Amino acid sequence: MNQKETVSYCLDALKKAGAEKAVCSLTNSEKKELNVEFGEMSLFRTTFDTSMGMSVIVDQKKGATSINKTDKDSIDTAVKLVMDMARGSQPDDAYDIAENQSPQTFSKGDESANQDKMYQSLEEFVDYVKSTYPQIQIEAATMDFNHSKSFFQNTNGVDFEVREGMYGFSPMFLSKDGKNTSSFNYTGVSALEIDKPLYKYGTIDSLLKQSVEQLQTQNIPEKFVGQILVTPDCLGDFLGFITGDISDGKMITGNSIYKNKLNKQITHPKLTFHSHPVSNEIADGYFVTSDGYIAENSTIVKNGILKTHLLGIYGANKLEKNRAVNDGGATIVEAGDNPHSDIIKNIEKGLLLARFSGGNPSSNGDISGVAKNSYYIENGEIKYPISETMISGNIQEMFNNIGEISSDRIDFGYCIFPWISFKGVTIS
Amino acid sequence: MKHESLNKYKDSFTHYTELRVQENRNNRVQLTNGDVTGNVATTESGVSARVFKDGNWGFSSNPNITDDSIVSVVKASTENVQFMNTKDSSRCGYFLPETKANYDIDLGTKKDRQNQKYWVDFIREVDAYIENKFPELLSRNLVLGGLDMEKSLYTSDGSESYSMTPRALFAMALSIEKDGAPVSIMNPWGGLGHLEDKIFQPSDYFSDIDALVEKLKQKADGVHANAGMKDVILDADLAGILAHEAIGHTTEADLVLGGSVAGDFLNQEVASPLITLIDYANTYDGETCPVPVYVDDEGTKSEDVTIIKDGVLKRFMHNKDSARHFETEPTGNARAFEFSDEPLIRMRNTAFVPGTSSLDDMIASIDDGYYLVKTGNGQADSTSEFMFAITMGYEIKNGKIGRAIKDTTISGIAFDVLKTVDMISSDMSWSSAGMCGKKQLIPVGMGGPAIKCKVNIGGR
Repeated sequence: MNQKETVSYCLDALKKAGAEKAVCSLTNSEKKELNVEFGEMSLFRTTFDTSMGMSVIVDQKKGATSINKTDKDSIDTAVKLVMDMARGSQPDDAYDIAENQSPQTFSKGDESANQDKMYQSLEEFVDYVKSTYPQIQIEAATMDFNHSKSFFQNTNGVDFEVREGMYGFSPMFLSKDGKNTSSFNYTGVSALEIDKPLYKYGTIDSLLKQSVEQLQTQNIPEKFVGQILVTPDCLGDFLGFITGDISDGKMITGNSIYKNKLNKQITHPKLTFHSHPVSNEIADGYFVTSDGYIAENSTIVKNGILKTHLLGIYGANKLEKNRAVNDGGATIVEAGDNPHSDIIKNIEKGLLLARFSGGNPSSNGDISGVAKNSYYIENGEIKYPISETMISGNIQEMFNNIGEISSDRIDFGYCIFPWISFKGVTIS
Repeated sequence: MKHESLNKYKDSFTHYTELRVQENRNNRVQLTNGDVTGNVATTESGVSARVFKDGNWGFSSNPNITDDSIVSVVKASTENVQFMNTKDSSRCGYFLPETKANYDIDLGTKKDRQNQKYWVDFIREVDAYIENKFPELLSRNLVLGGLDMEKSLYTSDGSESYSMTPRALFAMALSIEKDGAPVSIMNPWGGLGHLEDKIFQPSDYFSDIDALVEKLKQKADGVHANAGMKDVILDADLAGILAHEAIGHTTEADLVLGGSVAGDFLNQEVASPLITLIDYANTYDGETCPVPVYVDDEGTKSEDVTIIKDGVLKRFMHNKDSARHFETEPTGNARAFEFSDEPLIRMRNTAFVPGTSSLDDMIASIDDGYYLVKTGNGQADSTSEFMFAITMGYEIKNGKIGRAIKDTTISGIAFDVLKTVDMISSDMSWSSAGMCGKKQLIPVGMGGPAIKCKVNIGGR
C-alpha cells in the first residue's frame, strides 16, 4: 500500500470496527541534522520517522492513539486499541470531527536537502564566530532540514495531502574570557531556503555581539518600578500568555482571564497582532489545522480588541463559541512608529529585556523571573549589561501599559516580532 | 517490544558503534471539570545506531525494526560519520574510552494491567469527590498517565543491556476565583513503576486533596512577596530542583566544555561545608531511585557521581567523549529519550545529602523570610545563575509561619547561594514528576532535605 492507501485502509478499518466518526493521519518524515558541539562540527544525523494518528468517536465517546508503524498488523492492533479506549470512556456531545471540505494538496519548500551546502553554511558560521567574536564559545548549534509528507482523512470526506521542506538553524552560545563567563543565549530561525550567511538570519549577529558585552555585568543600582523594552527574541514569552489563555485548555477550565472578552479591549490600543499560518510573510506556517480544517489567516487582537479566541472543535462546541480558523502561532505583530533605538531614548529608567528566565505565569497573569542577557537603561541610554536582576509584574496589566511598539521588526521564519516597551514593571 | 540480543548485528559494525532498539509507550487520561478531555495512548519504537570515528559522530534511525532496517541503520550512520570525516580530519586518532557492561532489568509491574476504562473510572471517582466536597472550586483538571521506556543496547565494546523503566504520574490542578481572577495550585503523585504499582484506591488521595484545597485557599488570600534578597527555607519537596537546576546542569561535562563557570571551580570550595551533592545512578540508602540507570546508552555501567563533597566541587558527570576530553572515566550519564535521539549527558537522580537540623528549628531561626514549599518550572545558566518558580510558600515572621504568598520566582548564583547555607534538615524527599529539557526531554529524579539559604525572590 502507498501512504494514501494506508490511510484509507485505516479509516475503513475504524469504520468496520464500529467508529461513527473517525480521523486518520499519516506523516512520513526525513530529517538531516548537522550539529556543532563546543565549537566543532561533530555529528551528522539522518533520521526517518512515521507517525500514524487515529481518533474515533463511538456513542459520543472518544479515543485517540498514534503509532509509528504502517504494516497491516500494527494498524489492526491500533484500531482495536483505540476502539476499546473510546468505548471505555465517557460520552460528551462536544466531540466532533471536521466537516467535509474539497480534497486538496498543499506543498512548499524543497524535496531534499543538499548536505554539502548545509555543511558549508554551518562551517562558515563557525568560522565567522571564531574570527569575529573570539571570546564566544558555541555550546551547541543545530542546522537541520525536515521534509515531511502527510495525509489527512476523516469519515466526513476530508482528504488532504501536505508536502513540506523546511530548514532550521538554532545556535546556543556564551562568551568566556579568563574566569568571566556570560549567560548563555540562544535563538532559532526557520527558512524555506538558505540564501545568505547564517549569522544574518533573525537576530543572530546582534545576539553574538551582545554576548561578548555581557562578559562584564553589573547589578542594578536599586529596586525600582520602571519600563522594560522587550526584544523580539523575548516577546513570544509574553504574547504566549495571551494566546495560551484564549486557547482550549484555559478556556474550557474557565481559568482564562479573557474568556468573556471577545470584541472587548484587552490590551493597549497600540497592539495589533495576527496569526498568519498561510501568509507568504511566514515561511514556517501550516496548511491544515490539528482538527483537519484548511487553515486561514486571522487577526487575534486589533487595536487592543480581542477579535477571536483560539478554540478547536471541542472547545468551540463545549463553550458554544466560534471555532477559530487556525491553531494560532505564525504570529505577526504590526509595527509601530519609531525604531527601537528611539524608544530607548524615551526610557528614563528601565531594562532592555533580551531573555526572560521566569516561572510560568500564574492564572491571573502574575509573572516574575530573571532578566537574562539584558541591559540597564537610564536617561534614554543603555548603560551596562546586568546580572542578578529580577522583574515582576502582571502580564494583563503590562499589555494595558504598553509604551511604544517599534517600527523595526525581526523575521524569525515562524513569527515576525517588533520591540515593545511596557511600563510599571517592578525591577529588583 | 520484543526483547532479543542485538549482538547478531555486530558484523555490520566497522567502527565504534552503539546499536539501540527502543520503544516508548505513553498513555494519558485527562478529566477537565468532569469531562474526558484526553484519552490517548501512543507507541513509538525503532532502531538507531551511532558511530564514532576520528572525533566525529554519525547517527541514523528508522522506525522499522527488521534485520534489514537494523543493518541499513548501521550502514547509514557509518556513512554519516564518513561524510563528516571527509570534511574534517583534524581530530583523526581520537579514541573513546572502552567500557563493557552487561545488565538486564525489567521494572514493569508483575500485576495484570488494567485497561483504559479502569483508569477513566478511577479518575472520575477522584474528581467526583472533589466536586462534591469543594463546589466552590473554579476548575478541576486531573491527569493520569504513564511512560514506559524499554531499551535494548549493544555496543562494539561488547556492552549489552536491556531495561524496561516505567513511570506513573497522577497530577491535578485546581483553581478558585479570587477578586475575579483565577488562582491555581497543582500537585503530582507517582514515580517509578506502572500505575498498577503506584496508584491504588481513589480514597488514598482524599486527605491529600483536602490539604491541597486548604493550601489553595490560603494562596488565594496570599500576599505578594517583598522582592529582594531574603532568608528562605526551601522545603525538602523542592530542594531537589535546586540540586538539579542550580548545580546539576552546570556540572554536566558537556556544558563545562561549553564554558560553564563550574569548569573553573574543580576541587575548590563552592558551597558551605554542610553541602554534599550526589547524582545517584540507581540506588539511595538501599532503595531504588526514581529514575534508576544501571547501564547507560553508551554501554557504560552507571555509577554515583559525587559532585560536591563537604562544600568542595569534586567531579563532573560524563559520557565517553567528555571523559576522553577530561582524561577521566565515563560515569554512565549518557541517556537518550526516544529511539531517534542520540545519547546526551543527563542527570539521573540528583540530590543533596541530608543534614542534622529539624525543620522547626530552621523556621525558628528566621526573623523575616519565606518558607517555600512548592515549585514549578526552573532553568539553569552557564554562570550558575538559576531560577525556579514558587507556586506555594509562606512568610516567616519572627520565627513563625505567617501568611501564604502568591506565585513568584526565586533566583541566585548557585555557587554564591550554596555558600549561604547554614542549616540542612534530616529529611529526604524524592520527586520524579518532571521532565528535564536539553535538546531532548528526559525523566529525571531529584531530591533533598530542607535547606536554609539566601536567595533573590521576585514580588512587589
